Amino acid sequence: MDLRTRLRSRVARRPRVFHVAVPGGTEARLGVEAELRLRGWPVSGTPADADLLIVCGTPRPHDAEWLDRLEAGMPQPAARVVVQGPARAAQALDTGAAALLTRPARAHSHEEARGGGHDGGHADHMDHDMHDMHGMGEVAGLPMAERADDRDQLRLDRLHLPLGPGLADWPAGLVLHLALQGDVVQTVEIGQLPVPEAGSPYWNEPWLRAAQGEEIGRGVAARRRCAAHLDSVGRFLAVVGWEDAAARCRRLRDEMLSGASRESIGGRLRATMRRVERSRTLRWGTAGLGGLSARRARSAGVTGPASEAGGDAYDRLRVWLREVERGLDELDDAELLGSGHVLVGPRGRLDGERPPSRALLDVLPELLTGAEFACARIILASLDPDLDELAFAPTAGAAHG
Amino acid sequence: MADAAPLWATAVLPVALILAAVCAAGFDAVLSAAAERGRAGTVREMGVRAAAPLREGLRLLAQQPRRTTAADTLLIRLGVALVPLAAVLAGAVLPWGFRSVSDPSVGVVWFNAMEALSWAAVWLAGWGPNSALSLIGGYRFLAQGLAYELPHMFAITTAALGAESLRVGEVVAAQDGLWFVVWMPAAFVVYLLSALAMAFWGPLGHPLSRDAAGGAAAELTGVDRLVLLGGRWLLLVVTAGFSVPLFLGGGHGPLLPGWAWTLLKTAAVLALLVVGRRLLPVLRMERYMESAWLVLVPLTLLQALFVAVVVLNR
Repeated sequence: MDLRTRLRSRVARRPRVFHVAVPGGTEARLGVEAELRLRGWPVSGTPADADLLIVCGTPRPHDAEWLDRLEAGMPQPAARVVVQGPARAAQALDTGAAALLTRPARAHSHEEARGGGHDGGHADHMDHDMHDMHGMGEVAGLPMAERADDRDQLRLDRLHLPLGPGLADWPAGLVLHLALQGDVVQTVEIGQLPVPEAGSPYWNEPWLRAAQGEEIGRGVAARRRCAAHLDSVGRFLAVVGWEDAAARCRRLRDEMLSGASRESIGGRLRATMRRVERSRTLRWGTAGLGGLSARRARSAGVTGPASEAGGDAYDRLRVWLREVERGLDELDDAELLGSGHVLVGPRGRLDGERPPSRALLDVLPELLTGAEFACARIILASLDPDLDELAFAPTAGAAHG
Repeated sequence: MADAAPLWATAVLPVALILAAVCAAGFDAVLSAAAERGRAGTVREMGVRAAAPLREGLRLLAQQPRRTTAADTLLIRLGVALVPLAAVLAGAVLPWGFRSVSDPSVGVVWFNAMEALSWAAVWLAGWGPNSALSLIGGYRFLAQGLAYELPHMFAITTAALGAESLRVGEVVAAQDGLWFVVWMPAAFVVYLLSALAMAFWGPLGHPLSRDAAGGAAAELTGVDRLVLLGGRWLLLVVTAGFSVPLFLGGGHGPLLPGWAWTLLKTAAVLALLVVGRRLLPVLRMERYMESAWLVLVPLTLLQALFVAVVVLNR
């Protein structure tokens, strides 16, 4: 056994993981994240730094292309596993680790990363938009950036950059086609992967089931809402680069979902929320980004926290924090969600014409245009649309009907 | 005045820096794991967590490198290798107690010049892979450099002014009795901030931050990645360590020998940075720039003015 083989067998015991969710894979993602934490496997923010690609949810044929590209972007030896549901997370992780050991080391990954004449491994970050760039020179089969006037009427390079779906801390299934000059976002087009029709969106489940006449306790619904907000807060904090606080929120989210009692979780939850709320640096860094007035929100059909906040990214974060604390008091509420109850999920009203995340996506372009790249990611994280909602036929009138 | 160190110190320096970097990274890993998974139950578990950076290093060594299309390998290699190189070269003027590998008459300037190499390093490493997110990371470091460098230079100039010398040994000697941090607190705090910025780490790690999938390091794999990220820890150790001769009295202190005091003080500064990092999100440069130029520059200038007046009246 040579040194490299021995090193590889050590690596396979704790591989570094890059995980992405396909639409409809929220529950699987939560299962995977909890299992990764349990095992202490490190999580990577880029495929270039990962040994194991974990796909959360059930990928469909059209997902193969971007998932293959992600995998090609990983250094060898690498492996991919699919986790279809939370119950299979542990087993799938074992399979992945075993695959890393048995996979024969390929001679070199050069050919693969170049495959297809496009950007190969990191094409998910950077897919040059061919059709916009006729007449421009090419380098290694890649078109060069075109030029266009910037906001100060200077002719600058303009780069077309699709973001997602294979990005860390990113809403599953979302693709943003950005045109960037420097790092200023000039135009935004919103794309998405098709969302499966089957099943209801995980975060809205309690309310939708109650609307269909099932008996759901208010405590159950409050628990799901808290967890949904903690998930959003965790993602927001990860995007602004506060890893410690993000990790705490995610741990609390998983404890919340696994049914931790109010006594066992309350103290730590409050302390964490306070700590986030009291951070002046966080406020200083995120206030003023992505302002969405209450009026504009209403006219765009935004309900939920984004409308309630009626302000910038920081205000939206604060609404989440407040709602989490408020939800804590309802955790043990055994009363049932009444059938006459207004259907409000974590992202807004579920009995409207459109799912709440559709409205969030609709206001996104106006908020992102003109923002810098880093701010654009913070603004998106502060809205945190859930694309799983998009396939779901709204229960218009069901609750009141 | 510092004595010249024996020749073998040149060989020991990189090893010592690497050791210190591994310890600091291990401490950081323990704290991160505690936030993620709760406190370690056993000493063994604590050890496993502390060894995470070492495991990560081995993992990267075993990896086959991967290249992106039309990458400029030479630029990547240059950029990546410059980071640890800059750290070790800057470390050459770092006194251990009262001796350093070299104590030139312009030691303070030398130190600053070496750290400025990391401007080129991050930029090249971000530019090389021909990837948008990596390039964005590289750009961010240039913005960061513009924001931190001026207050930083005024801060270290203040210490040199207090000692009336650019020789690091004389800066240490001037603090026999009274440490500079006592009458130059603003310069010390600004220096610590810019130490983080130079090492592009923690709250000032925007060039490599997660929102751009790792920024300048987004496409680095295997040994390249190890050298850049390891070099970043070396830079952090060196910049934190240099605050000791500049502001914290170097090897001066009761009872213990000089080298022990240097070690203790360096460890304390590093611990402060590693723990302090938990309290802050990453600072975005367009926000930091405002306060750096509107608050920190005038503040450090006032500090320098105060020190100059004291020195003139001495």
